[in-house]
Amino acid sequence: MTALHPAPVALERFILGQLSPAEMREVARHLLAGCPECQEVTAGLWEPADVFANRCEDPQALATAELAGEDSLDARDGYDEVLDRVFEQVVATEARLADQRALGRKLYDELMQCPAERRRLLMSNSQRFRNRMFCELLVEESYEAGFSDPRRAVEVAELAVLALDRLRVEDFDGEEAQAGLRVRAWAQLGNAFRINSDLASSERAFSMTESLLSESRVPLIERARVLALLASWRRAQRRFGEALQIFDRVAAIYKKLGQWNLLGRTLLQKALVCSWAGDAEGEMKLLRRALDLIDPHADPRVFLAARHNLIHALYDQGRVREAFALLYHTRPLYLKAGDRMNLLKLRWLEGLVAFGLQRIDQAEAAFREVREAFLELGLGYDAALASLDLVGVYVLQGRTIDVSRVAEETLAIFQAHNTHREALAALLVFCSAARLDEAGIDLVREVSSFLKQVRNNPELRFPKPS
Amino acid sequence: MSTLDPPQVESSLEGFLKQVRPRLKTLFAHYRIPLQDTEDILQQALVVMIYHHREGIRDPEAWLLGTVRNKCLLYWREQRRKLYDSVDAAVLDAVAEPLEPAQEGADLRRDLASALEHLPERCRSLLSLRYRQGYNPAELAERLGYSPASISKITTRCLAALTRHLVTAGACKKKVGP
Repeated sequence: MTALHPAPVALERFILGQLSPAEMREVARHLLAGCPECQEVTAGLWEPADVFANRCEDPQALATAELAGEDSLDARDGYDEVLDRVFEQVVATEARLADQRALGRKLYDELMQCPAERRRLLMSNSQRFRNRMFCELLVEESYEAGFSDPRRAVEVAELAVLALDRLRVEDFDGEEAQAGLRVRAWAQLGNAFRINSDLASSERAFSMTESLLSESRVPLIERARVLALLASWRRAQRRFGEALQIFDRVAAIYKKLGQWNLLGRTLLQKALVCSWAGDAEGEMKLLRRALDLIDPHADPRVFLAARHNLIHALYDQGRVREAFALLYHTRPLYLKAGDRMNLLKLRWLEGLVAFGLQRIDQAEAAFREVREAFLELGLGYDAALASLDLVGVYVLQGRTIDVSRVAEETLAIFQAHNTHREALAALLVFCSAARLDEAGIDLVREVSSFLKQVRNNPELRFPKPS
Repeated sequence: MSTLDPPQVESSLEGFLKQVRPRLKTLFAHYRIPLQDTEDILQQALVVMIYHHREGIRDPEAWLLGTVRNKCLLYWREQRRKLYDSVDAAVLDAVAEPLEPAQEGADLRRDLASALEHLPERCRSLLSLRYRQGYNPAELAERLGYSPASISKITTRCLAALTRHLVTAGACKKKVGP
């Protein structure tokens, strides 16, 4: 054994891994020889921290342990000086941020006033757009646009990615913040492509997201947001097991951070995975839990989405009267939200519920309205789905000429939008049947259900109609 | 209070910081974060918070405490990882160096063998191959039948067991494992 013992401070720095390699080696060699005096010291330094380093956290248990008052008052007071210093810096940072936010908003408004084709050029040529808050705003605006104007969501997310490529680490408060925003911008781009049903582009953007996420340290809240978008993409790919696992990770983060509203939002998204996977009971259970957690005042749009999905789930399960009752109570929320997509969703749902209740005239009016609106917005696929609902009404009424006409119009929409060939094949089968007056309600349902599935699963093949 | 009642939050940042101060101190004391490292942890968490504040962190106090708690746990994991790497490098250096006089080399090998004796069988075989026969991680995986993807995690666990033995053996004689 080495005769000279390392100084206590050296042992402490050894435990913290703060010595030089030569010093580390020296102390390790000494401890390897089994010096009981030094091990007495290092054991005292090791044990408390070891508890934290290996702890499997239960947030509730941790919070209780922390508040149990086991730590001496002196130990706590030692932190006063550090807290004073950090608080002072953070207050100053917040004031600076307020100015930057205002500037970011100004830059965003200026950019959006330019014609779309000039925006990239302007951003590339002007140093003014090298601004973090401007980039933050682009990411947020793209996310918002996803609810009302999906094509704009892609355009704005592409600008965000471009703008972020021009920022340097000095423009942020450290690498973690830069990595966080960068990975979120890519995830938002993938998300925007997903909403537009551009699956190949979405795949590319999410591959980039995953690689950035794995190679950089990202703030926890950013990680949760990005993982939630990634899970939605996995759902769109019909990789349901992975999607559910990722949502569980997101839920664990929000639970850890005490963000119950965001936890509710995550359960809403997870419910959607159950819906797609055909687990209606699981879906409704998660939606009810989500509705308990989401604050309708703070997050009205998400609360509305949860209610909307619950009504849809009830309708799909044939519980039309319950769906009708819940829709009646939810209608004011749709009207309050007021944006076009939500009003269209309401109208579509009203049509479906009316159809379920055999109120055929009401259903027809609603489906026609929805179909026209989707066409106007350039959302061909949704227009085609609404068309099939309309065809269902005509089939029930025996209006064979209208069935054939709408079927041909829908086919034309698909051809114009270069839709996936299997979707086209399904519609061709339907058109052929309509021409021969053989399109029954079962075929309408079969084709409609297939079109909903194939939208996010290009591998799916249209089965030979029964 | 129902789950949907908004929590009472100070609207100004100064007020919020004053409100949360005692709990932050308790948290840092509980996790025994050295003073010099507290600043980084707290600053990182607060900066992220003020960036996200307007986007609707609904309960900033819960969010901040949760984030700081998580960072404290990560801090200790990071410290541990650094220590394991250092111990590994130190032992590799020591066994690789031609030692004079020969007695020192023999002492080192004896001490290492004695330390490994206290570890579970799996760690003993892995670290013996690493330190006595110079196997690299890929070779260890192949020799011991682990997948290349999991060998790093297993090696870390074995290094954790060795380090724990090095620093606690004198105070606590019980056998420890990964």
